[in-house]
Amino acid sequence: MTALIFLIMAIAMMTASAGYRGTAIGLFGVSFVAAILWFDRYAIEMPRLPF
Amino acid sequence: MGPFVRLGNALGAAAIATILLVAFGLQFGLNEPPCPLCNLQRVAFVLCSFGFVLNLRFGVQPLHYGLTLLGALFGVVASGYQVMLHMAPGAAAYGSPILGMHLDSWSLVLFFAVIAAVALLLMMSGRPDHDRSDHQTAMRFRGILRFAVYLLIAVTLANAVNSFAQCGPMECAAKPTGYWITKYIR
Repeated sequence: MTALIFLIMAIAMMTASAGYRGTAIGLFGVSFVAAILWFDRYAIEMPRLPF
Repeated sequence: MGPFVRLGNALGAAAIATILLVAFGLQFGLNEPPCPLCNLQRVAFVLCSFGFVLNLRFGVQPLHYGLTLLGALFGVVASGYQVMLHMAPGAAAYGSPILGMHLDSWSLVLFFAVIAAVALLLMMSGRPDHDRSDHQTAMRFRGILRFAVYLLIAVTLANAVNSFAQCGPMECAAKPTGYWITKYIR
C-alpha cells in the first residue's frame, strides 16, 4: 500500500510537470486520503506518556 | 513569482529529495529497513514536496502552499505519534540514533522546518501568479527548477520500488528485519 501511495505521488508529479494541474491535484488528494487511512491502520498502540 | 521565491521553491524540492536520499543512505548503510511509520513519514515528505513542484511548474499560488502544509501536518502527526510511543522511560525507539536523535525525532523537526519555510516563502511571495499564462510559467520551468522536480520524481519512484521490495503487496512488519522480495530472489 505504501508503495502504491509513492507510485501515485510520482505519477502526480509527472502529470504536473506535463502541465495537467487538475489531474495532479486530484492524484495528490487520493494519495493524501490513502496515507491517512494507512496511518490509521498502523496507529493502534496507545502512546505511554511520562507525564 | 520573484527569483528568490522561485529559488526557494526549488531549494525546498531539492532539500526534500536530499532528505529522502539520506534516509536511503542510512537504510542501506546501517542495514535497517524502515518501519511502517518511518515509511509513512517518507510519504509525508513526498506530499510536502508536491506544493513546491506545482509552484515551480504553474507559478506561486496559495493553493499549492496549502497542499505543502497539509503534507507537513500529516508528517507532524505521523512522526509526533512515533516520538510519543518512544517517549516513556524504558521504551525502545526504532533504529539507531543519528547525531543524538532518532529518525522520527529528526522527521518531526524537519516537518516543523517545512512549515516555517512555507511561512517565509508565503511572506515573500506577494501577489499570486494567477495572471500568468500556462505558456509563461512553462517557459520558466527549466534548468535547476526542472532538475529539482525530476530528482524528486526519481526519488519518489525509488521509494515506491523500495517499499514494494520491503513489504510486497501486503502490510509491512511492525519491526522489519529483511526484505519481502528476498524470498523470491536466490
